[in-house]
This record gives sequence, structure tokens and C-alpha cells, in this order.
Amino acid sequence: MNAVLGVTLKGVDAIKVEVEVEITGGLFAISIVGLPDAAVRESKERVRAALRTLGIPIRGRVAVNLAPADLPKEGALLDLPIAVGMAKSTGALRFSRPSVFMGELALDGRLRAVRGAVPAAIMAREKGLDLFIPEDNAHEVSLVHGVNAFKVPDLRSLIDYFRGDLELQRVKNDFKADQQKKIEPDFSDIKGQAAAKRALEIAAAGHHNVLLIGSPGSGKTLLARALRGILPPLSDEELMEVMLVRSTVGISSSRGRERPFRPIHHTASAVAICGGGTNLRPGEISMAHRGVLFLDEFTEFRRDLLESLRQPLEDGEIVVSRSAGSVTYPAQVLLAVACNPCPCGWFGDPVEQCRCSSNDIERYQKKLSGPILDRIDLYVPVPRLTPEELLSLEGKCGESSEAIRERVCRARSLQLERWSDIGSGSNSELPEKILRTRLGLSREARSFLGSVAGTLKLSGRGISRVLKVSRTIADLDSSVEISTAHISEALAYRQTGFLS
Amino acid sequence: MADHLLLGKWGEDLAEKKLMDQGWKILGRNISFKGGELDIVARDEKELVMVEVRTRTFGKIMPPECSVGPDKLRKLVRAGKYYVLKNKWEGPWRIDLIAITVEENENVRIEHFPDITYGGAY
Ligand SMILES: [Zn+2]
Repeated sequence: MNAVLGVTLKGVDAIKVEVEVEITGGLFAISIVGLPDAAVRESKERVRAALRTLGIPIRGRVAVNLAPADLPKEGALLDLPIAVGMAKSTGALRFSRPSVFMGELALDGRLRAVRGAVPAAIMAREKGLDLFIPEDNAHEVSLVHGVNAFKVPDLRSLIDYFRGDLELQRVKNDFKADQQKKIEPDFSDIKGQAAAKRALEIAAAGHHNVLLIGSPGSGKTLLARALRGILPPLSDEELMEVMLVRSTVGISSSRGRERPFRPIHHTASAVAICGGGTNLRPGEISMAHRGVLFLDEFTEFRRDLLESLRQPLEDGEIVVSRSAGSVTYPAQVLLAVACNPCPCGWFGDPVEQCRCSSNDIERYQKKLSGPILDRIDLYVPVPRLTPEELLSLEGKCGESSEAIRERVCRARSLQLERWSDIGSGSNSELPEKILRTRLGLSREARSFLGSVAGTLKLSGRGISRVLKVSRTIADLDSSVEISTAHISEALAYRQTGFLS
Repeated sequence: MADHLLLGKWGEDLAEKKLMDQGWKILGRNISFKGGELDIVARDEKELVMVEVRTRTFGKIMPPECSVGPDKLRKLVRAGKYYVLKNKWEGPWRIDLIAITVEENENVRIEHFPDITYGGAY
């Protein structure tokens, strides 16, 4: 039996949907079982109009059954298989291999791109099925190894293909990622801020979440935006993961190896950030998968929004629940957070005067704790430059993102090698047990940390954080051992240190 | 006969001629049932077609395809089902509208709208 197959999406996976069409005598009527009503009406009109332009009249009572019935489905994805199923039932075409079809039909029979082509390609490959997709989805699908996919410009071409009157173009596999685009802003575009740049280099090298704290106009946002430019390029596997999410959202995109950067605003809805909605889609946190998620004006975020980010940040994936069951989207992000040092914003500024009372500041600082902030490894002050500093930096150019990225990549490969046996890619993900035993802490460093831990009242968690960060600093130094100097640099990025 | 009835009959004659010209076989005219009437019943190849004919003089604002309301449509479907049952027709069937408009300059416009149930459930 050569079933007509379509797909529906569950998370970033495509699930096979079998399309059965039965046509009997009676008053012309189309019923589609297994789709929500509104979607049925629209899909029905598109399919019928498209078939009519091809001279394939649909007569009588047409019953379309989409199995399995209990899976939520989206009409637009299923237009093409429904049309093919109908044409097949009227005897207008036949085919010999089980095939998967996807695409939204325009009234004139042309095919519009749909979301989910990459998941569908992976499914078709695994099950050994031919895949027929809209032309505009070909670019993303060509990245999937070993899938037998065809580009379909319109319904007529597909019908002619099955009648043997026309060849369809195959999607050629092309695993070469697009040329890496230059990422703006470049680190060399940012004046001064040597300390903050160094901190971001450490964040990138060890995948440490980072908080940038500074007055308005200090350049925190610019620095955060530049962060992805010093991250290592996406690996093949990571690129595929990123493409899967993008395809599920339905944005056709470049296949470059630059990592995603997704800023979220505190007014954004939980659905926009976490995913969900009527046509279940991934949210910003999943769009930032394998890249940077940036929360600007952190203290403005609602508590419940931050609370909903806690679990995904811990697990690296997000579960979106809804009536028809829950789905999981990937969410491994490097978190960058920015905020002002105080309510008025000018605390510690070299020029402007802070107008906040000590009570105001204390209350404000309390906000800088809780579910998200306890996942921050680096607290980085970003002071505004004085006019004199700005003048003295005139015409001077800092190090380029590319130069920094090279050091970051070296440090990352050291980590990959060292932690390959425990399956961890970076220092920030290290389990506690490993931390204590395999860090390569020098004898002097150990006793140094022991003594300052008491003086600085470091908690157990605080010590772990310092250890992880100093391991990354040592890796940037290509040093097997963690030295006292590495520890003391790491200590500067503690939370309590950032306002003094 | 009253004027509007005369106009109606004239329109149906015109519609019938048009359908015969395009090769349809006419099976019946003005078939009445309790609660409904079919203006023309014809065969379009494999399909049985109940044709509702609307004839109007100019000046009507409503486009002709909107002149059959949901109540009228339900009546047509009921009459069609009755006809199909009585004549033991087991193949596909549908309902078409032919709208005839006499324009100001005495021009006659004939429009044919197939499938006015739009594949909906009736
Ligand atoms: Zn202030």
C-alpha cells in the first residue's frame, strides 16, 4: 500500500501523518477528520481551488482521514498531502514508493514554504521515504545528509511528475555551511573596557553565564552583542540543532556557523520567551540554543518570567505543556544579563551623581538574586568612560573579535579534550565531584583559596564558581595547573565584589 | 402569469439552452416537492447537477452569487436529496447557480456558479 504521508511537529521532531481519502457518491462535500475546524475550512478551500485549476474535479462526498487522530496538526503543512491524496483517489495519479509530502497550497496551485522541513527531512531519511517539499525549503533541507528529497514548485509539476511527464529537481546535498559573516559589533569597535572584554573572553572560553552591570551609556548592551562574535563557530552537529529549531519556527535563515544572539525584553510574553501558543512554536530561549540569550534591564523582568526560565537554564531544554500533551525544545544557552548598578543608574559613575538612598540601593541589590542570578558565574562592572579616557582612546583600535575568538577556541579544545570522558564540553558544566578532584589546582593555589575563602566568607557554591572560572582562566593561559594568579583573577568576578 | 413569473420562466429557458449548448443532458424542469423546487436537473458528465436559476433586472445591488441565502440553500439540498433518492442516483451530485441579469442597455448577462454548497456539510 503506497500511503500518502504528511507530517506534524512534536517539539523539533516530525511525526508521520497518514492521509487517507475516500470518495463516494452524494452531494459534493469535503470533510477532514483530525484537524481543528478553522484549519479544515481553509485547507479545504486551498486544496479544492488548486485541484480545479489542474482540471482535476473533485466530486461527491470526500472524506479525508488524518491518522493518528489524537496528534495535534496544522492545516498548512498538510495541504499538499491532502491534495495528492484526493488526486490519487480520483485516479488522476499513482505512485510506487511511499512518500512524504509537505507544503501549503496557494489558490493557484503554487507551493509556499512551510515550517518543519528540516525535521521532516530527518524523519524521511530515517524511515527511508521520499520527501517532496516546496522549492523555498530546499536550502535548509540540503543540509540533511542522505535524504531523498524533491523540490516541488507547484501542484501541477508534482502531478506531471507522477504521470511520468516531467522530472522534478532533486535537492542536492550540500553540507558546506554558509560563509561565516562578520559579526557586528566587533570587539575592536568598542572603546576601552579592557576589563569587561577580558571577562567576556573568559565567559566565552568556559561557557560561563555573565552579568554586566553599569550605568546607562556605559556600553553593556554593545559588549553583550559582541559576545557571540568571540564564541567558537557552530560545529556540524550544533549547526544542525540550530537549523532544527529555526525550521520548526518557520524562519528560513542562513546556514552560517555564527551563533545565535537573541535579546529578550522584559515586556515579552511568557509564550514568546518559552514557546507555546496556538500553533505550538519554540520561544526565544530555544531560538538562542547554542548561542547567547541576552536579558537587558534585568531588574525590570517580572518574577514569574524569571521563574519560568529557571528550569530550562538548568536542564538545557524547555518543556512546554499544553492540553494535548507536552513537548520539549532545546535551550542550551549562554546567558548574558545586563542591569544598572542602582535604581537611578548612576551609582559609582565618574560624572553623574547617584540620587538613591542607601535603602533604595539595598532593595535594588536584593533583586539581583534568585532563580537566574544564581546561575551567573561572572559579575562584571562596566564603568562609563570619563571624557578624558574617551579622548585618550581616540584613534586607538582594540583587539579584533577574531583574535580573541582564536584564544577562546584553543581554550575550548583543551576543555573538550580534558572532559571528553565525562561528556562535558566546557568548564561551567562540570559536576561537583569532578571539580574537587581533577581541576589541577596547584598546592599554593589550594592553600591560597583556603585562606581567602574564610576571609571572604565564600559559600560552598561560591567556591565551586571560583574554581570553575579559574580553570577557564588557566585554560586561556594554556596552563595545566591552576595558579594563585588564576584564582585571584577569578575572585574579582564574584557577586559581592562588583560594586566596590 | 404575473410579470415576475414570466421573467422567471424566460430566464430558465435561457439557462436550459445554455446548458444544452455546452453538452449537458437536461433531465427535468421545475420539479416540485413538498417544501422545495428544482428549476433544472441535468447531467454534467458523471455528475448530476441541480441548477437554481435566478433572473433579475438591473438595479439590484447584491451580487448574484449572494442571492441564494442559507435557508434557500438548505431547501435546495433537501429537494436534491429527495430527487436523488427517488431516482435511485448513487453517483456524485452538486448544486449550481445560474444568474441572469438584464442590464440597463437590455444586454443580458449569464453567469454560472458551480458548487454553491462549497463542499460544506449539509
Ligand atoms: Zn542611584
